[in-house]
Amino acid sequence: MTRATPTTVRPADLGALRDAVLDSAGTLGVTGAGTAAAWGGTLAPVDTVIDVGGLTGIITHNPGDMTVSVHAGTPLRELQSALADHGQQVSFDAARVDVGATVGGLVATADGGPAALVHGTLRDLVIGMTIVLADGTVARTGGHVIKNVTGYDLAKLMHGSYGTLGVVAEVVLRLHPVPKATATLAVDCTLDDAAAHAGRIFDRPLDPAAVEWYSTGSASGTLLVRMEGTVDALPRRVERLHSILGAAADSGAWDAHAAAVRGAPGQAVLRIGARPSRLAALVGSLPCATAAVGLGTGVATVALPADAVADAHAAVHAAGGTSVLRDRPDGFTGPAWGPPPSAIALLRSVKRTLDPDGRLGPGRLAPWLQEDPR
Amino acid sequence: MALDDAARAALARAVGTENVIDDPVGRRAYECDGLTGFRVVPDLVVLPRDAAAVAAAVRACAAHHVPFVARGAGTGLSGGALPVADGIVVSLARLKAVLDVDPVDRRATVRPGVTNLEITAAAAPHGLYYAPDPSSQQVCTIGGNVAENSGGAHCLKYGFTSNHVLAMEVVLPDGTVVTLGGDSAEQSGPDLRGVFLGSEGTLGIATSITVRLLRVPETVRTLLADFPSVEAASDVVSDIVAAGIVPAAVEMMDTLAIEAAEEAVHAGYTVGVPAALVVELDGPVEECDVQFAQVKEICDRHGCTRLHIAGSVDERAAIWRGRKAAFAAVGRISPDYFVQDGVVPRTRLAETLTRIRAMGEEAGLRVANVFHAGDGNLHPLVLYSAAAGETDRAEALSSGIAELCVEMGGALSGEHGIGTDKACSMPTMFGEVDLATMDRVRRAFDPDGICNPGKVLPTPRLCGERPGRYRPHPLEESGLIERL
Ligand SMILES: Cc1cc2nc3c(=O)[nH]c(=O)nc-3n(C[C@H](O)[C@H](O)[C@H](O)COP(=O)(O)OP(=O)(O)OC[C@H]3O[C@@H](n4cnc5c(N)ncnc54)[C@H](O)[C@@H]3O)c2cc1C
Repeated sequence: MTRATPTTVRPADLGALRDAVLDSAGTLGVTGAGTAAAWGGTLAPVDTVIDVGGLTGIITHNPGDMTVSVHAGTPLRELQSALADHGQQVSFDAARVDVGATVGGLVATADGGPAALVHGTLRDLVIGMTIVLADGTVARTGGHVIKNVTGYDLAKLMHGSYGTLGVVAEVVLRLHPVPKATATLAVDCTLDDAAAHAGRIFDRPLDPAAVEWYSTGSASGTLLVRMEGTVDALPRRVERLHSILGAAADSGAWDAHAAAVRGAPGQAVLRIGARPSRLAALVGSLPCATAAVGLGTGVATVALPADAVADAHAAVHAAGGTSVLRDRPDGFTGPAWGPPPSAIALLRSVKRTLDPDGRLGPGRLAPWLQEDPR
Repeated sequence: MALDDAARAALARAVGTENVIDDPVGRRAYECDGLTGFRVVPDLVVLPRDAAAVAAAVRACAAHHVPFVARGAGTGLSGGALPVADGIVVSLARLKAVLDVDPVDRRATVRPGVTNLEITAAAAPHGLYYAPDPSSQQVCTIGGNVAENSGGAHCLKYGFTSNHVLAMEVVLPDGTVVTLGGDSAEQSGPDLRGVFLGSEGTLGIATSITVRLLRVPETVRTLLADFPSVEAASDVVSDIVAAGIVPAAVEMMDTLAIEAAEEAVHAGYTVGVPAALVVELDGPVEECDVQFAQVKEICDRHGCTRLHIAGSVDERAAIWRGRKAAFAAVGRISPDYFVQDGVVPRTRLAETLTRIRAMGEEAGLRVANVFHAGDGNLHPLVLYSAAAGETDRAEALSSGIAELCVEMGGALSGEHGIGTDKACSMPTMFGEVDLATMDRVRRAFDPDGICNPGKVLPTPRLCGERPGRYRPHPLEESGLIERL
């Protein structure tokens, strides 16, 4: 029943997106910029691929309210540059934003970056959404105000759904002011030393904006601490931080950090979440080629030899954490996900209710979702 | 169908006979929450002593098709904990253990009956606190906060309950126990934790909750500023935001609210001014110094008639006392009132308040305003006298205001929830398909429809009925908690 080559459709508006879902039969894959095409479980061959890359642009930007709504295929970096003209931003800096990731794709993969320390991930910044379900239902959730408890928050279901529950069509985001001043201090040190530094930083009222360690190979690496604030006040705060770290300023190092998160072609890149205090030891125990470790967020991204992935999942799980495989070498057939969460039956129930025929994203959450529920 | 003997016996086995309230007088104490106009006496109340007993009670309900309603402190303002006919109430009041406070990873794990303020008390020795601060925080439970996704004055900068809950142990409506969320923000698949947060007790019962704790800010600066008009005060809010400042809190009160608050607590507000703003900044000393000067300058630019800066902890407390007293204090200037909780985009605050004033004049009723200006979350208080036969008019005005907020591009509720109170207004904000989709998600959690049925989404039965008048919550009357 599944064709060798799927039909690709590229709707240009919400109505066309709904029609594309309704007019196609069989399984559906959703693609944005393709920056995370290989992440999570491998997409099984599908009948139709919906390319949301044609759904782009800002729908409404209300600078005074600090909210913006966009079509889901909008690359976040394009949105950020439009917002910058107003001194505003989406306080979100996942590594693949730089390579063109779309807002919808970033939501669907529950991605995040160093700024999550203060601002959380898109789950915390999305205030409204329009989604298209596998039966052509177009549903709205949330709204255009930052404070809102009206009805169930269906946007949360889309966050981390990897295209298995619905197609994200429009997203409303909460914005923040671009900081007037930013500074980064960098210290070359081991992960253990970085964790100790982080402990000292979090014990004091320094309010860092991001605290990350990364390494591109050797046992040593670099601790990066970003501070944000006003032009007048920031220098004195940086001095305080400097007196603890004795570090040098180096804001360019964030590019190297993002590159470490993205990994190199052919690497198996594992995303890990755990208690911050357990993360250094956990990452230290893995045979990492490169690593980026959020010392306050508890989120790390590591590149591993392909044959170490299964054991790494197990080690993360043993430490109480969660893991998902991102990019991987061609032909890799190991596990993308760790052991299923305790709510697996609930997750399947949600899948059955929203996508009873199992049309969307087959394989993405494998082996957790039974792809054919009947 | 009333509760049958088999169901009663199963529930007694589940929680222990001594933890069941069966007598009519005892049950009556659970007939309503803070939305006192709606009352239903439950068939039975169970007070489980531990999480396992909660799960056992829910399993018994599932086996016998008994609808159940979770209840924390009963301070909810939207009728979320209103019992359902022929159903039981599961009170979480006895699940009060603080299981863990971890100062290194800055988190606490507590049972659902722990109050909001008790979490902060447990964290305080480590210089940490739990950020979301509903003004009922002395008594409302974290379980209730989770269910309502409660907010507070300081949520503008720090976010709402949803942004602070890492993980929960949840008893699903079939009695199975699952963990939603995890040790970090990294997710394994869709964010089911996020769906549960704010679901108003309709998707299951939380039996353990892990929250993030924040470090107590290095410094806090608070000012109280009077303005010649609500519009001028609204412009100040806009300019603060436009200057790139994210205050910890920005609260506004109008003449009527100020008058009521002053009469009640004498906190040093200026009686007779059209509008007053409370602005609070917190964080590193250096940043607060710079931004506080900017805020003062913005206030002056908009014709501030009096600027009072809290010079001590006591003065700061007085400013907040006045702000927080405003709600209950309205009871002093009016025999009865309804409260709304709509949200409007911040840029439409002044326009909305003008419309509300006109609507009030047209209805011949006074409306007091005391609200979270920073995030556009209004709390209009419609003053009326039931004795004078004004109830229907007041009720119409009150829902008219909630629906006006939707018309302005906002939302029906910012923090109090939809519950029973606003379920019938849901179609003003969401289309039929949106509501049907929400219902599908609800059924994925609760296929048998036994978990707090009839709340949040409109039902013909509910929307045919008429609510009674608002009466202040008993705790509020006693001055123990304030409403905002
Ligand atoms: C004077 C006053 C001031 C207030 N101020 C604020 C404010 O500033 N901000 C704000 O957001 N709210 C405010 N509220 C509303 C109320 O305090 C909050 O909604 C609070 O979170 C309710 O907590 P509770 O323990 O009283 O819950 P309840 O009223 O007992 O229950 C509320 C809902 O939660 C469900 N529930 C309770 N426990 C659980 C559980 N363990 N698992 C699943 N569901 C559960 C119930 O079924 C119900 O639907 C105020 C109320 C009053 C009376």
